[in-house]
Amino acid sequence: MGDTLTKVKITTAFEGKPNARALKTYVDNGGYAGLKKAFTMQPGQVIDEVKAAGLRGRGGAGFPTGMKWSFVPKDDKGPKYIICNNDESEPGTFKDRYITECNPHMILEGMIIAGFAIGANKGYIYTRYDFFEEIKWLETAIREAYDAGFLGDNILGTGFKFHIDHYAGAGAYICGEETGLLSSLEGKKGQPKLKPPFPAISGYLHRPTIVNNTETLAAVPWIINHGAAAHKTMGTEKSPGTKLFCLSGRVKRPGVYELPLGYPIEKLINEDAGGMLPGYNIKACIPGGSSAPILTAEELKGLTLDYEAIAAKGSMLGSGAIMIIDDSMSMVELLKVTVDFYHHESCGQCTPCREGTGWLANIMTGIMAGQGKKDDLQRMFEISRNMEGKTICALSDAAAMPTKSIVTKFGAEIADFIERGKRA
Amino acid sequence: MSETVTFKLNGKDVTVPKGTTVMEAARRENVEIPHFCWHPGLSVAGVCRFCMVKVEGRPKLEIACNLQATNGMDVKTDTEEAKSAHKWALEFHLINHPLDCPICDQAGECGLQDYYMSVGKYQSQMTRPKVLKPKMLDVGRDLVLDTERCILCSRCVRFEEEVTKTGALGIFDRGDRAIIGTYPGEKIDHNYQTNLVDICPVGAFTSRDFRFKQRVWFLKDKPAVCPGCSTGCSVDVYGKPETRSYFRLKPRKGEANGHWMCDKGRHMYSHLNQDVRLRTALTTDAQGRRKDTNFAGAIEDLGKRIAAVNPATDVALLVSAQHTSEEYKSLFDFFVGELGIKKVFQWREPTEKIDAFDGLLYRGDHNANTSGLLSALKEAGLAAGLKNEFDAVASSGAKIVIAVTPEVPSTFPSFEQQLNRLTELDFVSFWTLAGSVADNKKTKHAIPMKGFPEKKGTFINHEGKAGKLDSPFPCPVADGRDLTEIIAALKQWRHSHGSR
Repeated sequence: MGDTLTKVKITTAFEGKPNARALKTYVDNGGYAGLKKAFTMQPGQVIDEVKAAGLRGRGGAGFPTGMKWSFVPKDDKGPKYIICNNDESEPGTFKDRYITECNPHMILEGMIIAGFAIGANKGYIYTRYDFFEEIKWLETAIREAYDAGFLGDNILGTGFKFHIDHYAGAGAYICGEETGLLSSLEGKKGQPKLKPPFPAISGYLHRPTIVNNTETLAAVPWIINHGAAAHKTMGTEKSPGTKLFCLSGRVKRPGVYELPLGYPIEKLINEDAGGMLPGYNIKACIPGGSSAPILTAEELKGLTLDYEAIAAKGSMLGSGAIMIIDDSMSMVELLKVTVDFYHHESCGQCTPCREGTGWLANIMTGIMAGQGKKDDLQRMFEISRNMEGKTICALSDAAAMPTKSIVTKFGAEIADFIERGKRA
Repeated sequence: MSETVTFKLNGKDVTVPKGTTVMEAARRENVEIPHFCWHPGLSVAGVCRFCMVKVEGRPKLEIACNLQATNGMDVKTDTEEAKSAHKWALEFHLINHPLDCPICDQAGECGLQDYYMSVGKYQSQMTRPKVLKPKMLDVGRDLVLDTERCILCSRCVRFEEEVTKTGALGIFDRGDRAIIGTYPGEKIDHNYQTNLVDICPVGAFTSRDFRFKQRVWFLKDKPAVCPGCSTGCSVDVYGKPETRSYFRLKPRKGEANGHWMCDKGRHMYSHLNQDVRLRTALTTDAQGRRKDTNFAGAIEDLGKRIAAVNPATDVALLVSAQHTSEEYKSLFDFFVGELGIKKVFQWREPTEKIDAFDGLLYRGDHNANTSGLLSALKEAGLAAGLKNEFDAVASSGAKIVIAVTPEVPSTFPSFEQQLNRLTELDFVSFWTLAGSVADNKKTKHAIPMKGFPEKKGTFINHEGKAGKLDSPFPCPVADGRDLTEIIAALKQWRHSHGSR
């Protein structure tokens, strides 16, 4: 068990520094040291180090990063690709944007190290379209890195070649799903691809491709620089390291918090964020972005912020977006905006998701309009249950999980709404 | 011997070549796994999520279409979990479907209806207004698209990408607002449109030609070979024997055509219906008066005329290549073998580009049996080149010309012109299906023939492969005969009248 209260900052190390985003600031504060160290290692050793560090994908699924990298066929002569998934769109999440804001070079360095590890010479950053400022900052950073020789045909004289292009999406949530992102990057409609084959074998343009979340890649330079053992001293055994948490809701200080995994959620809310605004009490909490099943205030007691502890409560750490639902908020409205979002964003290729998200939204429209039916709760539960685990990507599950948990845990409130045709 | 794998399918050991999917293996074993988006002639899309099967030891159900069978895999298609998944998948497909079966052409051969009977039979839970989408869209010459009936299986999109390689269709918008369509201002423009109607598992694509003409359950289908070109696609002919009418052709999986056929071939039923067919035999008496007669009357008239001349020099035969090899054999055995005629000519289209090929199925030789005709000519000891010989017929000096016309006039742009030319000759006996032969006032003699779905026999395609006609419909024309039957009758007449 590592330190779950450490103050070490990895991905937000440049938070608040003057001229934080500049290459000079980055290099003066130890930037690109991880890359230089990686070049003294064998690519396989880099992968092993990331594996040993226990770094898990920060986009939501929490898949071990080193293991993902090791799936790329070693004897493949390329081209292979590293893609930075910066299409941050899970409702409640604003951490990748913050990393870009703090220092985009950390992302570039992580990508170059990842490219070196798997033998890729090309990387793409796929950024959410509405991150107008962040897109500019990233592109400036890429230019700076080229000028300083961190990118190009012969990086730092090592002979390693790595190029990064930047691509802005068009605003679809589904393009944050890794294969949806690949389709979009290929110039196609943003629809997830059927798996197998997985992207590590056949991804972008049918070539071996690793898609990693921005936060994951940004943590890589620190791990290489300080070593896997140092990384493992923070967080829990199975969830080592730090993670960004995006706290929103009626707390005194909402925002991005970099905390070690295993950090107590009550400490975050009550101490770091200063507690609830006067007059509001916690009613519920969505702990990992809108796709995560909701937790009641009761369930937050003693809860720690790591993959295992939240999974044990039947929810998930997800992207680390902690949304505090207070007692002024209507669960009917919460469910309505949630299902509306997934209905709007479903790509529509898989039937259970295309029809299921629409059906849920349709029922919620009825309930909101005072036309709810007594068996709507049961029906929504059944629809959700049959949307889960049935589709190519997880969007269907992402719509089903919160719906199921809200109708289960707050069924009485919704039933009351249906009965009255309006909020009590 | 290629590598094989053995796995369990519903408890039974099944051995298949490595790389075979569970869906393909199940089809071989006649195990039905419900599916919409999977089609044997297209890539795997895996989007309908209907073909869920249970693999023992794995947490979630998996789709059979994208699941390769591996050694020792234990697959079940009929667990309660799988059956519930099938029922729900169907329900998801149906919640926004308009259920306008009473006015839908697909009714009776619709995947939604069939599966409702086999995996559904639930009470609908849809209590809210359905999603409405555009209907009756004109997306191509032969097609009408109803996007509300569409279940977005993407078969049509993949067909346009993978088979015709035109990429003419796409899925626009997303979620439950998604619709199939063509790009703005564009339409599907190729010779394979009606395949979209076939592969569409529901009534989204309907055939402009077949639309509203007949409920499919009144139709009988019989296997045949398309007579439209030298590819020789395997087809099913759909007709209604009670009313002596034909309605459509559909491709049947075959070596020559795979799963598809062309739109030109689709129309190879329209020449078979009575309104365009020669319905009675014709003769002309000594006074030049033309009259309708029956088959026996026409044979008698022709028999007498042949008996009155020296056939070896005075009779010529003009033959098209749209009849069966068996028919050619009896034709030449009689005329060449027995009567000794030397003047045998071919009826070919002067404008035809015999070697043309569209790269998929349709060939420039619009005759189903050019190969069969050429080998029959050779067998009969005659020159067997490919040539158009109307001039040779006209200058042959024959007193009697037997013209075995092409079965399908529409494949011969110059058909009427040639007909006109031939009627200028002394005496031509037309053996034909074409009603226009009787419409031509100068025609002196005609015998109605059977069409390809009405006879047994063989077409030899451009590769030399045989296609069989062996399950005939009753001929809608009472006097219709094939060449073998006409020859037999002529022989019989000659025998009973003492000539040999």
